[in-house]
Amino acid sequence: MITGHFKTDYSADEGIWSNWPKRWGLVAALVGLAIFPFVASNYALLLAGQIGIFIVAVVGLNVLIGYTGLMSLGHGAFFAVGAYTTVAIHHEWPLTFPLITLVISTVVAAAFGVLFGLPSLRVKGLYLAVATLSANFIILFLIEQEWLAEWTGGISGTETPNAVFFGVELVSQQAKYFFIMPVMVLMLLFAQNLFRTRFGRALIAIRDKDYSAEILGIALFSYKLKSFAISAAYCGAAGSLWAYFFPAILPEDFGLNMSITLVVCLVAGGMGRTLGPIFGTILILLVPELLKIVAASITGGDATAQTWVSPTRDILFGLMIIGFLIFEPMGLVNIWDRFWRFMSRWPFAK
Amino acid sequence: MGQFIQYIINGVISGSILALIALGIVAVFKATKVVNFAHGHLILFGAYFYFTFSVVLADAPFMPAWVSSWEPAWLIAYAGDAPMFSPRAAIASWVSDLPRILLGLVGALAANAVLALIIERLIMRPLLGQSAFAMILSTVGLIWVLEGSAGLIWTAEAEQVPALGPNFPIRFQLFDQNLFLFSGSLVNLLVALLLFASLMLVLRYTRSGVAIRATAEDQSTAYAMGINVPRVFSTAWLVASTTGAVAGAILASRNGLSPAIGLFGLSVLAVVLMGGLDSFAGVLIASMLVGILSSMAQWKLGGGVAEIVPYVAVLVVILIRPHGFMGQEEIERI
Amino acid sequence: MLSVSQASLAFGGIKALDDVSFTAAPGEITAIIGPNGAGKTSLFNIISGFYRPQQGQILFDKQNITRMRADKRAELGIARTFQNIALFRGMSVLENIKLGGHTRLSTGFWASGFFYGGARREEARLRAEIERDVIDFLELDHIRKAPVAALPYGLQKRVELGRALAMQPQVLLLDEPVAGMNREETEDMARFILDIQARWGTTILLVEHDMGMVMDISNQVVVLNFGRQIAKGTPDQVQANPAVIEAYLGTSDRSKTDAGEVTA
Repeated sequence: MITGHFKTDYSADEGIWSNWPKRWGLVAALVGLAIFPFVASNYALLLAGQIGIFIVAVVGLNVLIGYTGLMSLGHGAFFAVGAYTTVAIHHEWPLTFPLITLVISTVVAAAFGVLFGLPSLRVKGLYLAVATLSANFIILFLIEQEWLAEWTGGISGTETPNAVFFGVELVSQQAKYFFIMPVMVLMLLFAQNLFRTRFGRALIAIRDKDYSAEILGIALFSYKLKSFAISAAYCGAAGSLWAYFFPAILPEDFGLNMSITLVVCLVAGGMGRTLGPIFGTILILLVPELLKIVAASITGGDATAQTWVSPTRDILFGLMIIGFLIFEPMGLVNIWDRFWRFMSRWPFAK
Repeated sequence: MGQFIQYIINGVISGSILALIALGIVAVFKATKVVNFAHGHLILFGAYFYFTFSVVLADAPFMPAWVSSWEPAWLIAYAGDAPMFSPRAAIASWVSDLPRILLGLVGALAANAVLALIIERLIMRPLLGQSAFAMILSTVGLIWVLEGSAGLIWTAEAEQVPALGPNFPIRFQLFDQNLFLFSGSLVNLLVALLLFASLMLVLRYTRSGVAIRATAEDQSTAYAMGINVPRVFSTAWLVASTTGAVAGAILASRNGLSPAIGLFGLSVLAVVLMGGLDSFAGVLIASMLVGILSSMAQWKLGGGVAEIVPYVAVLVVILIRPHGFMGQEEIERI
Repeated sequence: MLSVSQASLAFGGIKALDDVSFTAAPGEITAIIGPNGAGKTSLFNIISGFYRPQQGQILFDKQNITRMRADKRAELGIARTFQNIALFRGMSVLENIKLGGHTRLSTGFWASGFFYGGARREEARLRAEIERDVIDFLELDHIRKAPVAALPYGLQKRVELGRALAMQPQVLLLDEPVAGMNREETEDMARFILDIQARWGTTILLVEHDMGMVMDISNQVVVLNFGRQIAKGTPDQVQANPAVIEAYLGTSDRSKTDAGEVTA
């Protein structure tokens, strides 16, 4: 039973790990994250890496959609910008230190974010959704251009470099895991901090009532563009990690489908909440795996009969978005909250 | 100059098809305040239904022979030995295809209508009163459901379907320039514009049109005035799905049947926004503009650029006129 | 402190404000009254920066702010509340009030994200200040962690006042602070307004329909009717002004016909 929170000063009251289950939960999660690569199979590590990268991107999207209340269906494009910037940097200077590449990719993606965020100064809601939709098509179009093909590989895609830290090349899944996860944890922490201080509060204010925020001295245009920049930067960082993680990338990996997948992860997890992106991403990325297992057990591994797996996955994703919107619009986090509310009162209430 | 006019004509023809697609998006938005991101995929289904009824079903063994190819004696006599591509040969072949075309259209309209009613009832109705965000996202989810279902039901290969009208090249002169277009395109243009115009008239002058507009203005007041709001919603979805089925049939006969139709439909969303979500006239202007711009881009810059024209154009328009050419700005009272 | 001179604002052909001029003296309460649609809220909107008047000027501390953005005006020290409560409904009372401190804090993006260090100190300082000057002062301590959406109307109004106070404003615009309140709540609110004036010497502008309260607490009253300023002066002067009486009650003929309609 978790009863009251007893605090003696205001800064303790402002803390985020404010009670023992939160504190120990965090420690357990970090320990679990550290032990995982030593016990998991290569395949599980592949999945974990993918999930870690996606979490970074979805956290970024959460900044924009969840906290600032601006819709975007174009963040897959910024993901692509990050990935292709990383590839291009290594094409020009093969020995660039990975963290520097990561930072540059992030900055470039942020710049694109600002550019495509400009319509947010004039419109909101679905107008913005369609405007950001444009980002997918325009950026992929650029990537596929002949004159950029030297750096991007054009329409047929390109091989990607491995990260090299002080002469050690990260080749195995395990090694890559140790690159991705610290980045993910730090970026999560950064976002979490953002939203308990002045900057993040201003974004939430814009989401809740924009004219009211303005009257309190929050410059809407600057904060909206910053929000776009931050969210695109997170996606860019994810893209950069993605390029290091996979041996090759294709333009069509990113596009509209990825943009929507990111939004689905966010909706399934819960918008405007810290844990939302984590829960949502894990759920959404594991569903196709489950589907593969089911498919394999039904068809007995017959490859030709598995042509239905991909369309079925699409249908399932679509139904999950709609299902969450109808039945659990606050996402998995809300279920999690209900569980803890129940626990904290147990056995006195249900 | 000759080529310029030629591309303008091509642009107007594709613009009219854009307008036909846009019609469905605007109709649903006007009545329900939902912007249907899945309208392109509704059209994709329309195209597949058209294919199913006009090709698969018409050629099925249990169908009477005249459905797959109607060749009464007078038609054979009329066709005679007209040379290939001559108007007479084209018309004869169109008449002989007529049963399957009609079967296809009726089937596609009916099937798409049923599909839209199911969507409206199962997905959109429970979300009534939710945020615009939830509405948008549910139609985004619908994209995947429809795309996946189409992938399961129909093998995703380019298939040919019969055109709506007889197809022969027409050569003519305008301002002393030699120009040409296909009669099939002309039929498509006429069909699209006729549907567009008749819907505008219905909305403006009939009782149910007024009901739809009233609902668009204020749902609860419309309810209080005795308007059957749920029925207005289903009507709007019916309009969207049936016009969408026609658009699907046109697109499939123009460029072949493929899942790309869905994405093409998505790009029409950009066109709708340019025109102004709630303005038929604005949307018509935007459709023509984008049609012509795309056609010009195709001519000067290649097909790849033509595909992103609507997306670039919408960004420019939004920055200058946030609510499109003729869209109504929502005024927030403070 | 704040003066509006010859301000006119029109929407298309409708004149919301027509040649309005007055000066709100420092530390005093200026009430703006008038029948519905008289342009009171429009006046607030040009002062706080949502609309730009087509003619005229707004001076704050002798600085011309007519064309300044709303958020810049907030930084200068102009705060306001809204007629239809405009709180951030997703947040708690405390978070809402903290947002009032936005202009007085300096934590930027990076400091916010790294948190430990400057941001943390600043947050703690803000919290202590808010607790002292706003939450204790407005007697909100029992609901500080409650989500605002769940609060009753009167309390929401008070939280909105608190949020404006957290800006430590020089000029405070209150748009119908007691509308829809019962007598007790009205008296509480009037007391808070007078306390604010006494404690911080804030210049207060007030739009209100509750004439009892307006006449009790204001130093100056400005009367608008159909966008035009028909009277200005102390509460006593305004109450005696025939133009004001006509605007509120109609001329003697009209009031007879009105009464006739009511009885019929």
